Amino acid sequence: MTSHTIPHADDFRAGRELSLDHRKLGMWLFLASEVMFFGGLVGTFLHYKATLPTPEAALLDTVLVGLNTFVLITSSLMVVLGLDAIQRGRRRGLITFLGLTALLGAIFLGGQVFEFISLAGHGVTLQSSVFGSSFYTLTGFHGLHVLIGVIWALVTLMKAARGTYTAQEHAGVEAFGLYWHFVDVVWIVLFTIIYLI
Amino acid sequence: MKERTLLVVVLVTALLVVAGIWVAQNVNLMPAEASTRAALVDQLFRAMLGLAAVIFLLVEGLLLFSVLRFRQPRGDDGDALPVHGNRALEIVWTLIPALIVIVIGFYSFRVLAASEIREENPLVVNVRSRQFAWTFEYPGTSVISSDLHLPVGRQVRFLITSDDVIHSFWVPEFRVKRDATPGQMAELLVTPTREGTYPVRCAELCGVGHAAMGLSSRVIVESDEAFQAWLTQAAALPADPIEAGRTLFKRYGCPACHALADAGAAGVVGPALDSLADPNGPHAHAHGGMDIRALVEQSVLDPSAAIAPGFADGLMPKDFGTRIPANELAILVDYLVAQK
Amino acid sequence: MTTATPALSPRRYFGWSTDHKVIGVQYLVTSFFFFLVGGAMAGMIRTQLLAPDSTLVSAEAFNRLSTNHGSVMLFLWILPVLAGLGNYLVPLQIGARDMAFPRLNALSFWLLVPAGLLMLASFFVGAAEAGWTAYVPLSISGPDGQTLWALSVILLGTSSMMGSINFVTTIFTMRAEGLTFWRLPLFSWSMLATSILVLTATPVLTAGLALIAMDRLVGTLFFSVPAGGDPILWQNLFWFYSHPAVYIMVLPAMGAISEIFPVFARKPVFGYRMIAVSSLAISLLGLTVWAHHMFTSGMDPRLRVPYMISTMIIAVPTGVKIFSWLATIWGGKIRLDTPMLFALGFISMFLIGGITGVFLAAIPVDLHVHDTYFVVAHLHFVLFGGSVSGAYAALYYWYPKITGRRFDERLGKVHFAANFIGTNLAYLPMFLAGLLGMPRRVVNYDPRFTELNQLASLGAFLLAVSVLPLLYNMIVSWVNGPKAGDNPWRARTLEWQGSSPPPVHNFDQPPVVTEGPYDYGEAEARSMMPSPAAAGD
Repeated sequence: MTSHTIPHADDFRAGRELSLDHRKLGMWLFLASEVMFFGGLVGTFLHYKATLPTPEAALLDTVLVGLNTFVLITSSLMVVLGLDAIQRGRRRGLITFLGLTALLGAIFLGGQVFEFISLAGHGVTLQSSVFGSSFYTLTGFHGLHVLIGVIWALVTLMKAARGTYTAQEHAGVEAFGLYWHFVDVVWIVLFTIIYLI
Repeated sequence: MKERTLLVVVLVTALLVVAGIWVAQNVNLMPAEASTRAALVDQLFRAMLGLAAVIFLLVEGLLLFSVLRFRQPRGDDGDALPVHGNRALEIVWTLIPALIVIVIGFYSFRVLAASEIREENPLVVNVRSRQFAWTFEYPGTSVISSDLHLPVGRQVRFLITSDDVIHSFWVPEFRVKRDATPGQMAELLVTPTREGTYPVRCAELCGVGHAAMGLSSRVIVESDEAFQAWLTQAAALPADPIEAGRTLFKRYGCPACHALADAGAAGVVGPALDSLADPNGPHAHAHGGMDIRALVEQSVLDPSAAIAPGFADGLMPKDFGTRIPANELAILVDYLVAQK
Repeated sequence: MTTATPALSPRRYFGWSTDHKVIGVQYLVTSFFFFLVGGAMAGMIRTQLLAPDSTLVSAEAFNRLSTNHGSVMLFLWILPVLAGLGNYLVPLQIGARDMAFPRLNALSFWLLVPAGLLMLASFFVGAAEAGWTAYVPLSISGPDGQTLWALSVILLGTSSMMGSINFVTTIFTMRAEGLTFWRLPLFSWSMLATSILVLTATPVLTAGLALIAMDRLVGTLFFSVPAGGDPILWQNLFWFYSHPAVYIMVLPAMGAISEIFPVFARKPVFGYRMIAVSSLAISLLGLTVWAHHMFTSGMDPRLRVPYMISTMIIAVPTGVKIFSWLATIWGGKIRLDTPMLFALGFISMFLIGGITGVFLAAIPVDLHVHDTYFVVAHLHFVLFGGSVSGAYAALYYWYPKITGRRFDERLGKVHFAANFIGTNLAYLPMFLAGLLGMPRRVVNYDPRFTELNQLASLGAFLLAVSVLPLLYNMIVSWVNGPKAGDNPWRARTLEWQGSSPPPVHNFDQPPVVTEGPYDYGEAEARSMMPSPAAAGD
């Protein structure tokens, strides 16, 4: 039984019999609401995909984006390895893997920017058609989440460098990990519905 | 004691049932019943009203009775006898309401299905809506009208759409409405059963003229002969140019937004159109040296070119140029300019 | 014994604080301000409608008033007043020193303030005028205020979601020793059910509002009809949130009522578990009914019947609550203090809202009454007769807890009488107007509805006046009211076991709970281990 300190709240833990950490539960709840948010956007995209002709879809570069998807999945693996490292008390390992996570996230974003520019070159923009609007909005909101994740990874990295996390106390890393895996899973869903089906 | 309780329960139940039946049979909260659908809906509504009365009286009765009967005596600080629940009672008041709503659901489904049965040879009417007027087109004829004429006893198949935002076509006496959604065509089946004149309402907020749009058009349900006579007469334009102009003014829905004494129009969304040509009249400012005829024509075809003071741009549809044939436009403009 | 007396300096309510009690009061006071603003808008609307062809208010101004009346009342009054009650009470009811995330809690409140001001400020650039439902394409073309409206509602939704994460986490992880879920007070149960619903439904509205905002700001084409945009899509996104929103707004009020009945009938809650579970049932069912708002919009005809059935089924858990409350007061020792009067008023008026909800669910009836004054009457019976009555009941009930003072009972009863008569007078005639053919949101109407509208306006004016004794009572009693003592209603839930008002840290020692919250008439033993703070007086 680990005990965490937050202001005013020590000793007030009925959750201990459920072994729930309040930060992790809060993160799960936040992610649940994020699922519904992306659900709304995905629903919009699918609705228009089903009801309107989308000639622009032929312009999508599935190979490039497939590689990008691989990059993002690899970055999730880095988070797992980083968490594993700190659980064994290896701070250096955590720092290395967080750095790799941020780097892979940045590569993904770079790929996305490249894709956007090339599509815009073919005349597909936010204002060109309903497909353009929903494509950029959906992938753009996801990209925004990746960007926030990269920043978060770097903040976590700096905290790790300052020695905030130990083998016993690393809920902050776990919370970041949950978020990053979520962003990854959302992308796999988006990749499937936008590029594969 | 036990028997007395049972007796009271039976008596109260009987009273409630009698009250419910009385309400269902005697309380009428609806306007005139003017379609086959209206008759079906009203039957359902009255049945639900009877049930609602029973539940309402039961709950409010129990509430009042408890408040009057179970009061804490003055000076008594103690608690009442603890009762935490009663499994049988809880099952009863879960199951009975469930049963009631299932019955209502089933009945509603039956009414819905019955009111949407297609009949042979319906009269098709295209309902077009825009900010802020209804126009009714009778395919196969050249008739376009702002009032809806229907023959009694024949099913009408409305095809409803909108040119701009969402409106909702509602005739309370028919007990039905259907949204007019831009880019979509909605179908609605109604069989009028009662001759008379009823209002057409707009039930979906559509902008500043929303209320006016619900007060400007009427349904006239009439005998088949009267309907056919109207159709013939409406297809032709009167020979007299003033009468023809007045007809066009109404046909294209102008009264919904503009006031014009000669046409009995009182719209307030756009400027009043009386005395257009009077150099000292309310429109004198607009002339600006321009020929009044040209100005009126321009205002119909391109409403944004000159905006009357006190009115916003963008309220008037910009597509009249494509909808009004040139000869009719000339008649309409002549008519407007001739108004004193 | 040491007593942590609270620093009652009024100043602590005017700035950043992470104390849930301060935040709770901040929510209550702020939302009440917006209630008065929304009420003033209603007053102008009802004055305009005194005559069928009145020109007191232009059509444009009328649409702006009705749009913002609805938005302010829902998003800036009912939601935050209930969030304020939850903030103040949940930690006290479960024996926690604060919420799980105190800073996030303060942030939720401080998002509310700029969001509310943003909505009001929109009147300077042409306020939203497409109805609180903001149906597209009308809401795409309106004035700039429509964009501010969308951004404001996004912020308010975010605030509401942050609060909900806090409530769920707090209730799951911070309950005191021995406070199992089957001993959780019913108000906290209702906050749990509500918060789950908020987290599920609100993000979908946020997504939809983001699409509207982007259409208006960057020229995307989501709702552009010529480009193929679908107006019905918005209705789905909107109602997926906005129907559950009704339950979000009524469940906490029901929770408060469930606290009040046992105290003022001196009897245990009848069917405690059924009431608790029915809150969850309403939450889950509430997510499956949204399209009943779209029976007239040309949805797939085959989908209509399932939505009708699921909507009607919600009447069942709602009925369970009502009958359980009736059974709670049956055979009790009832005292008709102001909180109890409002609780009884809640049942009698919410019942009308509930029954007419079944009428609206029945498709053939809905096709007639949808978008008419029948709906206006129904939703006001649910939200004003229901939610607001519940909020009033809660305010009076927990007033001694929050302030340590007693309010003036006579003024409370005057408020109740005016509110009860005013509500029925204002909204009952609207049912008839709607059935007879009066659409909602109209600035002028057919003269045949004149008398009904004048009655409704009269009721509305009475409601406006009824707020005065409430305001006077709340302010003057806080300053001058007699000391209430720690537990003036002799309630048994945990929040009443300490001093009133509570000390800064709520409980100096963790309380231990050994029995249920409503064991009236059971063994006279104290239900909780007294904490040192409780021995303050």
